[in-house]
This record gives sequence, structure tokens and C-alpha cells, in this order.
Amino acid sequence: MKKSEVVVIGGSAAGLTSAITARRHYPDKKITVIRKEEKAVIPCGIPYIFGTLGSPEKNIMGDDAYKKNKIELLIDEVLEIDRKAKKVALKSGEEIEYEKLIIATGSLPMMPPIPGFEKENVFPVYKSLPHLSKMLEVLKKSKRLVIIGGGFIGVEFADECKKIEGLEVSIVEILPHCLQIAFDPEFCEEAEKILEERGIKLCTGEKVVSIDGLKNVEWVKLESGRLLEADVVIIGIGAVPNVELAKKAGLRLGPTGAIVVDRFMRTSDENIFACGDCAEKVSFFGGRPSALRLASIATAEARIAGANLYGNKREYIGTIGVFSTFIGDTAFAVAGLTEENAKRQGYDVITGTFEAPNRHPGAMPGMRPIKVKLIFERRTGALLGGIFMGDKAVGELVNAISACIHYRMTIDDIASFQMGTHPALTASPVVYPLVNAAEMALLQAKK
Amino acid sequence: MAKILVIDDDRDFQDSTRSILEENGFEVASAYTPEEGIEKVKSEKPDLIILDVLMPSEYEGFEVARKIREELKLIKLPIIILSAVHQVKKIPYHFAPDENYLPVDYFIDKPASPELLLGKIKELLNLQKPESEESTF
Repeated sequence: MKKSEVVVIGGSAAGLTSAITARRHYPDKKITVIRKEEKAVIPCGIPYIFGTLGSPEKNIMGDDAYKKNKIELLIDEVLEIDRKAKKVALKSGEEIEYEKLIIATGSLPMMPPIPGFEKENVFPVYKSLPHLSKMLEVLKKSKRLVIIGGGFIGVEFADECKKIEGLEVSIVEILPHCLQIAFDPEFCEEAEKILEERGIKLCTGEKVVSIDGLKNVEWVKLESGRLLEADVVIIGIGAVPNVELAKKAGLRLGPTGAIVVDRFMRTSDENIFACGDCAEKVSFFGGRPSALRLASIATAEARIAGANLYGNKREYIGTIGVFSTFIGDTAFAVAGLTEENAKRQGYDVITGTFEAPNRHPGAMPGMRPIKVKLIFERRTGALLGGIFMGDKAVGELVNAISACIHYRMTIDDIASFQMGTHPALTASPVVYPLVNAAEMALLQAKK
Repeated sequence: MAKILVIDDDRDFQDSTRSILEENGFEVASAYTPEEGIEKVKSEKPDLIILDVLMPSEYEGFEVARKIREELKLIKLPIIILSAVHQVKKIPYHFAPDENYLPVDYFIDKPASPELLLGKIKELLNLQKPESEESTF
């Protein structure tokens, strides 16, 4: 029987990152990653296959990292984990003995059982190259696309698929706004305006009651009675953890159906770790179970799991939730709690909003406005969240704000934040939007 | 004594589930078709429903769940789907509880251990704390 001290099941973002981290922390251990797919798709790049990239082949994770980090990559499928014998059985018939096992089996797309969901050309989005190639082929021949779900997946798919010549695109979202779970309404409205200007039809506050047609989908019926003609439907309502192996192995599952892990990413078996979409998460704010599943969260967890295999070195703080997206030519980003989510969780909040050009003077090339909204807890002044819109720079500003949330910086800390500025690169130091949004919140606090 | 209605066309499953539930102090009613299930929801007034998905017509269990919520307006009646649909259909996606599109409390894959099923039943009937609040690891 083959032996590898560390075995990782899954070779997407979490699996690969955990293996690289394990290599950095344990240079002498043999590390093997077992990946089912011949080629691994980059999860966050999937919507861009249908527009900007134009091909699934351009959205593949390279395998160079395995060679560079002396990690063995096996293309095979784990059928069973034998916890007692500390070995995994593979589809090829081979067995591998391990000392430490990391489960990074990811998630599967959630399918709403709407009558008609099995019709031809109704696509959930799963991370498989042949599936995505088929989707692209069908979309290129289609005239009308209906996307069910107006969250990040739905909106990014709509924006990218609109680049396919002659394709009409509609989004059906059950909530009053697209992106409503992630952003406050004033930002959702801006995003919706851009989508509509791009010619995307929005059906918000609407539920799909059936997907109809003979063999292929022909139309989608909404609860209001409206019919949307469609020759292709994409389902983007979320994902569920892929825990089949863990369940069969008797590992404990949590309230969202994912594998229960402690802050060191250990499962209920001390020699088995789990990270990424298949692992249970708790919120940084209050510690409740969190169903957020993002590649950025997955890799953060993977860096903890990989480091802790032979002793606790890192501890997970809980999920802050940092997102960014790009609609039309405008970036949207959020870290932590929105104003609405914070209030829903019982926080007494104050907010500050500020908008400024991202160059100084405004006549400098590349000028775009940046809008920032910061959300603070009133009593302590601690930062709970930040929402951004505008220039692409907000994709990195939001990461800086995530660190500020992590370290529970206050209104005054942010108002006196020391930043570097340059006319061709940033907003003016006088109107720097982060610090000025904090100042606006201070004014609110005094009211 | 809480009453549980089991809606499933598999008679062996009905028998084994009935004995487990009765041994644990529950009253059990059975329905073998979706239509009978809806009728018994009205006549038996159960405290909780265990519902199969693949019955004589495929995916009928989903329709039963929708009818219970939308037509019978039983918004708070706990429903557990217990189904082998993922295994039987070998589909690369999953069904999961969803407030709007699959209004049930839990979706458990068959086969499920009696402990798991009883745990979820007791949690939904407020007979024990939900798993997320357990302090043991």
C-alpha cells in the first residue's frame, strides 16, 4: 500500500492552498493531493468564460504549483475514508495510508426543485470543464437567457453573457433587489441601474413557479403570471457543501450541513482537517453558523488547516465576509456587515458615507469617483463593515477594510488612518474617502 | 404524545420507521401516495412530517411540500425530507431546504441513522436543543 504522510482530498482553491501551506510548514513530509478532475477550473473565473475570456480553457488552474512545492498530484477519486486504518480507497483500486488528512471537497450547486428543472438547457453551475464547455456552446446558439437568482453568481453571469452577440438576458430575483444579501439598497440600486443600462432585464421581487417547454426549456413562468421566453436557463441560487465522503466516514456535520470543524480546522477526528466550502463556518460577528462560501474564505481556512496538521499554530477568527464584483465598468465591494445586516443582528449602528474622485486633481487621467460607506457600532465605535463602489481600486480598499474589521478598529482609528497618496493613483489626502467616511460617522455620533 | 406522519411509497421503509418512532414514544400515521399524504395532513393533524421525494411520479414529494405550505398554509409545520434522490439519480447538484423554492426544515439523504433522524425530529419539536447550540464537539 502507498503511504503519504499528508493526504489532501480535492484540488480546487482550498485543497491546493492547504497542500502548499503544509509544504511550507512541514518541509520533510510527503504530501499528496487527490483531484477528481483532469483539469481544475478556477471557481471565481467561471462567469468570465462566457464573455471576457471566451473559453473554459482560459480559466484553468495551472498545475505548476504542485511541482514547485514537491506535492504529488493524483488524478483519481476517493471512494472511502477508513478512519480506523487511516487510509483512503481510490476509484483506481489503489489505497493510500495517511497520518493527516485534509478534506477539501468543496460544494455542489443548489438546485431549486421548480417543476421543469430537468428540461434540456437548464444549467446549474458546477465546476467541471466539460459542463462549462457545453454551457458555452448552448449559450452561443441561444437567443434568450433567463438567470434564476440575482446574487453574485447571477449578476456576474448576466453581465458576461450579455457580451454574447444577440443574446437577451433576464434575471429573476425573489428579493426586492439584486445583490440584496450582500449590499445596502442604495448600492443595489446603482448596480441595477448599470445592469439595466447594459440591456439586462431585471425581474425583482419575482419567484419562478415553473420552467416550461417540450423537451427543451421554452419559457419560464413567474408567480405574478408573467412569462419569460427562454431557450436557456442558468440557476444561480447558491451552493451546498459536498460532504458525502465525510458523512460516510462518520464525521460530525453541522447546522448548515457542512463538516464541523474547530478554530484549528480539525474535524471530529483529530487526524482529519477540513477547509473550504465543505467545512462548517461561524460568523466573525457573534459566532452564529454562516453559510457564506467564497474562494477567499476557503483559502484563508486552508492556510490554517495546512499549518496546524502537526500542532496548533493558527486559529480561525470566523468569517468576516469580503466580496467584490465588477458590473459594466464599475466595481462594487463589501467587507463585514452592511447597515441592514448589522441592524438585523441587533447592533446599534452609525454610518458615514463619502464620495471623492480617485485622482487629484480631478483632471488627472483615469478619474473615477469612489463611494465609501462605513458602518460602526455606536457604543464602542468599532468598525463592523464597509461598502464601496466606483473605480477598480475598491477591490483592494475593501481588503484593507477587512483588516480594520479584524482588528476592531474604531471611528477615530480610521479617521486618523495614515495613507499614502499620489495624484495619478489615489484620491487626494484631503478628501481621502476612507477617513472622510469615518469623519462623517463621527458627525452622526454627535447628533 | 407527538404525532408524526410518514409519507413514503416504500412499505418496508414505512414499517421500519414506524417501529423506531413508536419505540421512541411517537404516534405514527402513514401515507403511501402524495394524494393520501395531503389528505392525512388535513385529517390526522400531525406535529411533524417525514416526506419522501421519489414516489410514483418523480419528484412528487417536492410538490407535496409546496402544497402543505402554499395551499394548506401550514407554514410552521415541521417537514423533514428523507430521500435517496441524490443517490438514485446520480445528479451533480443538490437539493437543499430553501425558504422560497424548497420550504422544508431538513433534507436528509437515505439511508439515515435512527439517531440522526430522531435528533432532527426532537430538535424540530423542541424536545432538545439544536445541534448548533450543543457544547460538545
